Amino acid sequence: MCLNPNESAPNPSHFEESEETASAHRDIAWNDYRDLIKGMRFFDPHIHMVSRTTDDYQAMHQAGIVALIEPAFWVGQPRTGLSSFKDYYSSLVGWERFRSSQFGIKHYCTMGLNSREANNEPLAEQVMEILPLYIYKEGVVGIGEIGFDDQTPAEEKYYRLQLELAKEAKLPVQIHTPHRDKKKGTERSMAIAIEHGIDPSWVIVDHNNEETVKSVLDKGFWAAFTIYPFTKMGNERMVKVVEQYGPERIMINSAADWGISDPLAIPKTAALMKMKGISDETIRLVTYQNAIDAFGKSGQIDVTDFEGGYEIDQSAKFHGNSILRGGQQPEPVKDSLVIR
Amino acid sequence: MSDTIKHRLWEIIGRNTSDAESEWLEQKGTSAPLELMTAFVAAPRFLSKKIIETTDEDKWELNTEVPGFSVENWSLVRLSRVWLVTQLDPSDKEEYVKNVDTLFDTAEMNELVALYSALPLLSYPEQWLFRATDAVRSNMGFVFDAIAFHNPYPEKHFNELAWNQLVLKTIFNDKPIHLIEGLQNRMNEKLAVTLSDFAHERWAAGRSVPPQVWRLVSRYMTPTILADMQYLYNSENREDQKAAALACSESSLINANYLLAKYTDLEKAVKSGVLTWAELEH
Repeated sequence: MCLNPNESAPNPSHFEESEETASAHRDIAWNDYRDLIKGMRFFDPHIHMVSRTTDDYQAMHQAGIVALIEPAFWVGQPRTGLSSFKDYYSSLVGWERFRSSQFGIKHYCTMGLNSREANNEPLAEQVMEILPLYIYKEGVVGIGEIGFDDQTPAEEKYYRLQLELAKEAKLPVQIHTPHRDKKKGTERSMAIAIEHGIDPSWVIVDHNNEETVKSVLDKGFWAAFTIYPFTKMGNERMVKVVEQYGPERIMINSAADWGISDPLAIPKTAALMKMKGISDETIRLVTYQNAIDAFGKSGQIDVTDFEGGYEIDQSAKFHGNSILRGGQQPEPVKDSLVIR
Repeated sequence: MSDTIKHRLWEIIGRNTSDAESEWLEQKGTSAPLELMTAFVAAPRFLSKKIIETTDEDKWELNTEVPGFSVENWSLVRLSRVWLVTQLDPSDKEEYVKNVDTLFDTAEMNELVALYSALPLLSYPEQWLFRATDAVRSNMGFVFDAIAFHNPYPEKHFNELAWNQLVLKTIFNDKPIHLIEGLQNRMNEKLAVTLSDFAHERWAAGRSVPPQVWRLVSRYMTPTILADMQYLYNSENREDQKAAALACSESSLINANYLLAKYTDLEKAVKSGVLTWAELEH
């Protein structure tokens, strides 16, 4: 739940900065920046692939994204029954995981009841009953995305219950911070996590901006930044944040979903950082390693699955047959008029 | 299901696990259903990620116990999950079916693979028929493979319609049919006719059909299929020609034999046993 359709106003600071950044690099094409990030590997710790196309998967693979995390979220309209939740959770560990594997990208997910739908209490109760069935699944690297949206009492109730669940299952927590009244919502989310005795190094606070980052880092939490046009961070601002705070406990994600968003946000930001003279090691930490360190606390991330480039053959072999490729998708020639 | 198979699986598990791993499994395997089912889900968190090693003796004994059943090249997690499912108490049918259904309904991809692999070992086999055909409908390659290949359940329980769908979908997905258990035993005329139609569609689209699929038509040679054989003999792909020769040689239709006789080198290779379907199994 990353784009709030009620908040269509562009982020003011995006425009404030436009004069300064109106340089030759302003509209740089993929072919121009591809060389800058050649050989880099990326890990997107927040992206909603159920809303994305196969074109996106191919572009992501091509740009060096080797693994991703898909948090359970709001699907754009409220669900009316438990079965919808069940099928959605199953799809995150089933069909979507398989679909991703066909494009050579290792797929993880976080499981949780999102804050918006926490407000439908009768349904939320039922969801909480089935949630434990899903959080122990292979490749579930955290409880998420949970936290506040409107900051109602119901949201707080289910946020707290899920923090307890995370503690019991020894899983990291991925916190969605609200669009409105973000600063207070972020502070409140952190305070409650600490109140529940959760070690901040197990909590990833998401959708930060210049206003929230300092407090999040000072308290020992991970600070995730969503590069998302108009409503969240622009990547030029992101470069400045990294320049100011360094790479420690900072990670970047795209949170690409069904709104206008960009599944290549990470590789693009990496290229921009490279152009601005940020070191390769810093880029590696904020676009790859920190996410692995944070969510790896789940014990569910084995980097050998993807660090050499995630080969479909490895995965097929793991399923007991190296002949069968599990249906890897062939790559069509995109710019050809002829479809074969 | 016999206890022998459970013991066999446990023996293989024992040889492929550390003490801590087998102790964990043993404890979970004798616990109450809910705990056992949670262990089924959580297995990858407690077991190492590796492919098990098996012996020829394992292979032989499993196959004796449940013909066609095999655990070769399985991961330890898959084997352990299958073993855990065999530990569910089947004495109360309603309870047992409910538990297995819950596992299916909430399963992720690898759990589905384990569940479908376990089908030949489950009690009340007729109970799982719809699930099994659902796996054939699956777009998840690994799930499809788990029901289609090295799995004796379909041969034993699928009706002709479901069986033909399984074989056709295997061919449609360009997967090798020789991995299907019971392929020879379940050949049928309808399948042969549908295959011929399917080949015509592929040919019209400028695509091809894996040569070994023609092994399914030899017993049901019709004039139309005989014309397909001629098409194969004319193909530039040597394997198509070989497939035609093999299919014609197995046919009791006299015209099929005449056709084969026109291609003396192929006829010789087939009759001398130099050429067999095994050569086309890939």
